[in-house]
Amino acid sequence: MHDVGYVAAGYTVTLVTLAGYRWRLAVRTRRARRYVSAVTGRARGGRRRP
Amino acid sequence: MRHLYRVLTVLGGYRAQRVMGVATLAGLAATVVIGLFVVPPDATQGDVQRLMYVHVPVAWVTFMAFGVVFIASVAYLKTGRIVWDRVAAASAEIGVQFCALTIVLGSLWGRPAWGTWWTWDPRLTTTAVLLLIYVGYLSLRKVADSPARRARWSAVVGVVGFIDVPIVHESVVWWRSLHQQATVLRLGAPTIAGSMLATLLLAFVTFSLAYGYLMAVRLRVGRLEDRSAVPVSSLSAPRARRPRPADVPASGSADLPTSLASDGHA
Repeated sequence: MHDVGYVAAGYTVTLVTLAGYRWRLAVRTRRARRYVSAVTGRARGGRRRP
Repeated sequence: MRHLYRVLTVLGGYRAQRVMGVATLAGLAATVVIGLFVVPPDATQGDVQRLMYVHVPVAWVTFMAFGVVFIASVAYLKTGRIVWDRVAAASAEIGVQFCALTIVLGSLWGRPAWGTWWTWDPRLTTTAVLLLIYVGYLSLRKVADSPARRARWSAVVGVVGFIDVPIVHESVVWWRSLHQQATVLRLGAPTIAGSMLATLLLAFVTFSLAYGYLMAVRLRVGRLEDRSAVPVSSLSAPRARRPRPADVPASGSADLPTSLASDGHA
């Protein structure tokens, strides 16, 4: 029964790592898109900023 | 190389990404439910053996990720195309996450099974060295001062560093080790019960899908970050070339300058 804690911890760490990395990639995508839009003066949808 | 590039192009598509994302989520849910509640516990190790369904596939993805780094690094050194450098960087980053996860999961398994969190066992030590090599690879990418030099240096490390992968795999055969020997990837039939093997194969597929999905997303991030790293001057003055009729936007829509939109050559 004591071993169940290690198993639960292992599965939790695995899922949290995958979700955390995916979230981090989403943050990096948003940041890079914002930067490219700001520098080029073009919105993500392709429209030119006024 | 051309086939691999084509596969990556297909995987990078938005629809393929969504399909892989959904399949990964479904696979993870199935692996967790079956691994924790359906498959019987091991006769000798009991419930702690259930960690195998995440530890072994995560280790497999680590090897695969570093294998892709190796292939992409060779491709970069051969062709000089910066897209291969991007593939290698993406795969190394994911591989490092999975390698660290492999060590943590192994430690969680080792504590109840061996009575210790860590021991300087050949398999554990070579895996720790593998992690250090690719952390070094990622660090090297941060310090190089030009994209071409960064790509060349890291390609060399990507090729040389891969030497440790077969050493990790064979370490349990070459040296006396606490770690158990291969039960699936070995000559002859697997020495594992049918239901356990089926669950393990499901987990292999799931974590491989997770790798494919993360690669697709990470490659997209890499492209965007490369664009945002280009000097402002080159953004405001795109490379001059003769306009073609297809270049004229019909309703004022436009993409990034051609110098940024293309993958380019180092």
